[in-house]
Amino acid sequence: MNTHPYLRAYLAGVFVPTLVLPMMLAGFITVRLVLALPIPIERFVVFPMALVPTLWGLWNMLWLGSHPRTHLAVGLHGAALPVLLMPMGAIAASCLGIMAIGLHGVVWFNTVDVPYTLIAPIFLVVLAGYYLVWKYVVGFLNSVMGIA
Amino acid sequence: MSAFEEDRIKQLLRQALPPVGAESGPNIDLWPGVLRRLDEKHTAQSQLVQSWLGWVRRGSSWFDWALLAGVAAVTVAFPALIPLFLYYL
Repeated sequence: MNTHPYLRAYLAGVFVPTLVLPMMLAGFITVRLVLALPIPIERFVVFPMALVPTLWGLWNMLWLGSHPRTHLAVGLHGAALPVLLMPMGAIAASCLGIMAIGLHGVVWFNTVDVPYTLIAPIFLVVLAGYYLVWKYVVGFLNSVMGIA
Repeated sequence: MSAFEEDRIKQLLRQALPPVGAESGPNIDLWPGVLRRLDEKHTAQSQLVQSWLGWVRRGSSWFDWALLAGVAAVTVAFPALIPLFLYYL
């Protein structure tokens, strides 16, 4: 019987972004409408809504396919995803006009000024967050789905 | 409408709609079954949470707790970066 392991891997992978996205949208709409902060939500949500969940699902499918050969832990596999995501997100943000490159740093959403010296530490924090989420959430869901 | 027609309509309605009596409902009380189903659903949800907590306890190490503390500290220290983190999630 074909138990569709790759389909289950995809579903386990998209779980976290799909769960977080509506809450994130609610938060940003509240910030935009109630606090009247000039964050361009319409342009902002394209990347997290269209690409991130799909990439999480595909990344988990890739882990399932490559695990018999690499024996890489799911947390470490997930921590490698920002290496792919961050340049893609930066390119998308730059094209959509929500990120501007300045002399001393990068300005996100016209409000968040990130100095160049902080980019590497932020990247490490994102890696750590991805490692934890993939190890403790996606790994658990893979176990529940019977593919890990 | 004449009195005859009114009586006739009443008679036809009585024939079409049988009287509601003691035999009209189910013989058993359905409410305990509903409560049992709700309890089973709640138990299944709590089992999933318990299972996840067991998973976390089995797999966690001091390194993971340190990472979590670091991520939390950076998030608290630089709350302006939260939208940026969410952008990549």
